[in-house]
Amino acid sequence: MSIQFKTIVELRAMLDSKQISAAELMQESLGLAKKHEELNCFITMNEEQALKKASAINLDEKTTSNLLGIPLAQKDLFCTEGLRTTCSSKILSNFIPPYTATAVKNLEDAGSVTIGKTNMDEFAMGSSNETSFFGSVHNPWKKEYVPGGSSGGSAAAVAAGIVPAATGTDTGGSIRQPAAHCGITGLKPTYGRVSRWGMIAFASSLDQAGPLARTSEDCAILLNAMSGFDSKDTTSLNIEVPDFLENINKPINGIRIGIIKEFNLADLDSKVQERFEESKKTYEKLGARFVEVSLPNISASVPTYYSIAPAECSSNLSRFDGVRFGYRAENTDDLNDLYIKSRSEGFGDEVKRRILIGTYALSAGYYDAYYKKAQQVRRLIKEDFEHAFESVDLLMTPTSPNTAFKFGSKGTQNPVELYLEDLFTISSNLAGIPAISIPHGLVNSLPAGLQLIGNFLREDQLLNAAHIFQKNSDFHHLKPDLEESQ
Amino acid sequence: MDQETVRTICYLARLDIDQSKSGKIQKDLERIIDLIGELQRINTSDVEPLYSPLEMTAFMHEDIESSDNKKERFLENAPASNENYFLVPRVVE
Amino acid sequence: MSWETVIGLETHVQLSTKTKLFSRASTAFGASPNTNVNLIDCGLPGVLPSVNKEAFYKAIRFGMAVNATINQTSIFDRKNYFYADLPKGYQITQMDLPIVLGGSIEINLDGLTKTINITRAHLEEDAGKSIHDEFDGFSAIDLNRAGTPLLEIVSEPEISSAKEAVAYMKAMHQLVTFLDVSDGNMAQGSLRCDANVSIRKKGDQELGTRTEIKNINSFKFIEKAINFEIKRQIKILENGEKVTQETRLYDSSKDETRPMRSKEFANDYRYFPEPDLLPVVISDEEITKIRDEFPELPKEKEIRYQKQFGLSAYDAQIIASSKSMADFFEAALKKTKNYSLLSNWLIGEISAYLNKKQIEIHESKLSADNVAMLINRIDDQTISGKIGKSIFEEMCESGSSVDEIIESQGLKQISDDGAIEEIILTVINENPDQVAAYLAGKDKLFGFFVGQVMKLTEGKANPKTVNTILKNKLK
Repeated sequence: MSIQFKTIVELRAMLDSKQISAAELMQESLGLAKKHEELNCFITMNEEQALKKASAINLDEKTTSNLLGIPLAQKDLFCTEGLRTTCSSKILSNFIPPYTATAVKNLEDAGSVTIGKTNMDEFAMGSSNETSFFGSVHNPWKKEYVPGGSSGGSAAAVAAGIVPAATGTDTGGSIRQPAAHCGITGLKPTYGRVSRWGMIAFASSLDQAGPLARTSEDCAILLNAMSGFDSKDTTSLNIEVPDFLENINKPINGIRIGIIKEFNLADLDSKVQERFEESKKTYEKLGARFVEVSLPNISASVPTYYSIAPAECSSNLSRFDGVRFGYRAENTDDLNDLYIKSRSEGFGDEVKRRILIGTYALSAGYYDAYYKKAQQVRRLIKEDFEHAFESVDLLMTPTSPNTAFKFGSKGTQNPVELYLEDLFTISSNLAGIPAISIPHGLVNSLPAGLQLIGNFLREDQLLNAAHIFQKNSDFHHLKPDLEESQ
Repeated sequence: MDQETVRTICYLARLDIDQSKSGKIQKDLERIIDLIGELQRINTSDVEPLYSPLEMTAFMHEDIESSDNKKERFLENAPASNENYFLVPRVVE
Repeated sequence: MSWETVIGLETHVQLSTKTKLFSRASTAFGASPNTNVNLIDCGLPGVLPSVNKEAFYKAIRFGMAVNATINQTSIFDRKNYFYADLPKGYQITQMDLPIVLGGSIEINLDGLTKTINITRAHLEEDAGKSIHDEFDGFSAIDLNRAGTPLLEIVSEPEISSAKEAVAYMKAMHQLVTFLDVSDGNMAQGSLRCDANVSIRKKGDQELGTRTEIKNINSFKFIEKAINFEIKRQIKILENGEKVTQETRLYDSSKDETRPMRSKEFANDYRYFPEPDLLPVVISDEEITKIRDEFPELPKEKEIRYQKQFGLSAYDAQIIASSKSMADFFEAALKKTKNYSLLSNWLIGEISAYLNKKQIEIHESKLSADNVAMLINRIDDQTISGKIGKSIFEEMCESGSSVDEIIESQGLKQISDDGAIEEIILTVINENPDQVAAYLAGKDKLFGFFVGQVMKLTEGKANPKTVNTILKNKLK
């Protein structure tokens, strides 16, 4: 029985009933990765180690872990000891970390096996996985289309059924948007829920690690393992991690869902709107009540984000200087020349743009007008959310104003074009609140995603609402026809 | 955005922009600055900046040694090193 | 033309925590290169800082000692610039909300006291070290020092001469050592000084253009560097020219300051709050605890030494002024009750020895227990003071215990009346002419007899006993 497109829950049942061994499962997963190489989901495979670990797994071992023996793909932003970690950049193309990220370690300690590192937008900067030094990732639904980004490789690997789940990171929508474009489920947890130790930093106050999987239930399984306080990341929350599966089946009668007035959904593509209205009806049938809410500052999300994220990244990426690790240019005259050449040759254009904007926004004379101003507006946006959550439990939006686009058709002339696509996802990163994207049908044969935004620390409500939707719909069962799209 | 400013921020960031691309990059930067400039319209007087979504205070650790012992790995990873040091082109102070 | 010197000092104090400010790597001095380097200190991708609370406690102790305001909530900021020994490409420091604000310190110069106000003191991490001339064509980077906690103390520009600057640094040194905030070792770099020097016409309110002399690492050089710079600036102004605002280095071999290699663009550090660290809040309980456990400072020790141990004001002041001397004294007091003899030795023989070797007492082979033993042996007359001096020399050389030396060299004082009487009788019998001369009135010859007794006893005879019995026998 093929393991392709199976969920963690399904694979767990197969493993436990001895239908397949962990080694066989890994072998098949690796085979699928090879078969669908043309999607370019992976940068580095972990074949030898993965098979070794899978073979050593004892399924009779007493464990409550759902993840024992499950193959997972890790976004190439997470440091993995001994396994090359590149962030899809030339500047790290030879970097072998001497340590492993906590989020990954937690998943591996729970018994999962890392199959390889997935392709992404360079340093997580992008929404289409077109900025990777290792080439773009192809959307399994339509190969000349982007999978979304920055966690494009992870999303495509799950969508193509190579692995049941993968890790991603979300700074402005980088888990949710590719999940939407690839027809799978992706969750950005509350900021601080998952340790950032070992997660190569893009924008420190916005980055969060999270799961991509075929179902909300599988996301809950991953989140359970990934989460938790880590003293090495003092921005991780020192609170007990709830069991995100515990109340996942709770009926959602009476749940109040807010529609954000300022998002002007009537301006969207009619088919995207149609899908949204259908899903609204589904939720109403399941007992939800819809309310219009106003978040007056939410339209400022995109400019706010694009002041803060590049500023923090311009500083975070200063360590890539060719001195202690990574790419160093040849034939340099002196130290300054070494810095300039190594960084200019090692970074791609989008990364350079963001570093330059960030440097500008922090520089003397501009700091107050851009960086500080943005952080003030950020507080207003956060307060808007807090106010909204006084009258609703969740907020609902489409994940993205559009479905996936063709390679090279957006943002090449004007990068801002692509930035505006992040409108619906960005605000949750600014406020630090959790959000999930679930597939809710196709638009022009490409997947569309539905986003639910939850209150601080309420991933349980998101996973619950998403799970109930999935129990009463089939969209998450839709699969790309990989033979035809080849 | 004038040439001088572009040169300054490029130097601060230790980045060199290819001559052939510099026109486009400058235009891109101007567009992005227009985007983020929209924030000027919003009234933020008396609003405290929010530097982290967590309204929390720092966890601090005890003054007890715990060494990672990774000297060899660090030096191995370096583009230029000997058994003891990272090496860079000679700096004259 | 009457000129006035205006000096402000920035002191960098390396805190004596066991581990670094943001990682738990050791701060021990002298480790082999790149061994005290954790993942965080190497600035690898994906690492995050975590705050060492002891660094804050030490900074707060300092703040309390100078009567400053302690900001119980303080934040860290990033200072962005590129240099080979700055692994992350930014330094984590405190800009807007430092831990300590204000305060003042008293300096003593030529019997006069002057108060110098402190602007602020903040925590920041130290950079690594670059070695430029050891490897051909390369500079070598050692990150052992990267991440070590520094307290940067900024004085108001109220210092008026090089001598005052030295007095300020000496007062700072004394304070941080007594507070157990730092070992204050200038030679090892635990205490560094940047001097901002400017000149203005006497009576002028406005400050002249200042230059910054960086990283001066001895009291002697502070005085020389500042004096050179004052002369240099006065000369420029007298020529009707302007002083260039710049950073300079002091070259001790030439006794001059020269400008640092100029940077092409002025550095814009683009400070912003460190997003990986949340605001640090020190609780009232922690403040109380620090206050309760406050160490004794020199002035208090001075008073206590006089009251409790009967030391003279002068002696008390000398011993209390150096932490290592004071610690030594207090440790030795546990083993001996002859306070005045102990303090005499400390101020006399021992200080002379330390000065000659240019070391502090804790760097010598002398231990408090051993010195206490020496005092006790002199006190109980096992040995004479004179023999004590030669034993002391041996102690300094080998560190052997007093009793061991007495044993191995047979230096026990001879106090037995009978034995001494015998020797005295021998001397008297062997020197009949001198005896006759003495009895005839040549009193000075008494010393000759004492000398002969000492010669025969190899100096070990108890001088008092010799005197008494000799007087008796020479009647």
